[in-house]
Amino acid sequence: MTESYPALDRDAAPVAALADGGEVSVTPGPARRALWIDMLGLASVALILTALYAALVVAPTEAVMGDVQRIFYFHMPSAWVALGPSFTVVFVCSILYLTKRDLKFDRIAGASAEIGVMFTTITLVTGPLWARPIWGAYWTWDPRLTTTLVLWFIYVAYLMLRSSTPEGHKRARLSAVFGIVGWIDVPIVFMSIRWWRTIHPTLITGQGMQMDPTMQAVLMFSLAAFTVLYVYLLIVRVRQLDMGSRIDRMRQQLLMR
Amino acid sequence: MSEIGFLFAGYAVIWVILGTYFVFVGRRQSALKRELERLERELRVQG
Repeated sequence: MTESYPALDRDAAPVAALADGGEVSVTPGPARRALWIDMLGLASVALILTALYAALVVAPTEAVMGDVQRIFYFHMPSAWVALGPSFTVVFVCSILYLTKRDLKFDRIAGASAEIGVMFTTITLVTGPLWARPIWGAYWTWDPRLTTTLVLWFIYVAYLMLRSSTPEGHKRARLSAVFGIVGWIDVPIVFMSIRWWRTIHPTLITGQGMQMDPTMQAVLMFSLAAFTVLYVYLLIVRVRQLDMGSRIDRMRQQLLMR
Repeated sequence: MSEIGFLFAGYAVIWVILGTYFVFVGRRQSALKRELERLERELRVQG
């Protein structure tokens, strides 16, 4: 354990080995991985800025709603990232944790829920700002809006449960059960505009996507940009949670000496 | 507020939320790095 290490951000593996009291081998792997993550971060920022340009400049003005409809190009991708990858990853990783009892899955679920709540917040704030000039009200207790708000509360409660319980298998078990049960609201949010009467626009109908081709292209680009941003944030947050876990192990090791 | 005002508010909110989250993630990264450095030093000292 006498090797010198590169910058700490790049040396998760050597520090982990140190924490485990094992032999330390400094390989270029973690540094290269960190470089890829940085590049993914830059790519996601570039994609989001391009999506912003496309939403505000490239997309044609909607005939009925006017310019305010351009909120849609960030509103819908935020909702997609929250309901699609974010909360579904929580659901899948919760099941994986319960079957494999590996805390790695618990950390991925925790990170994904946090990002999902952030994107749901964006959805819930931008929706009313778009609705006000179109519906004449910021908020209505429409099924889509209500179920999305319930979803936000469910995952905020999930994060509160995690932050109020000490890290370990007990917290992971409780969170996993919550993550599985809470996910039930996701298909309800998705189907709400089909099951109940709603004033919320329906993007995909039986005849496909009813949209101008340029608008459709801008939306698809924005969806891709938000998905890349989600992947980047998830990787970064999971690495941070891994680091936190290593720190805990190192603290315990120091206490035992 | 005009239509453009709502559009501006919508995008402003998005950037504020994203920016706040990025700051949170960045600060967390710095704090973890500092703590790892400190513990690494202590472990080295204690051999």
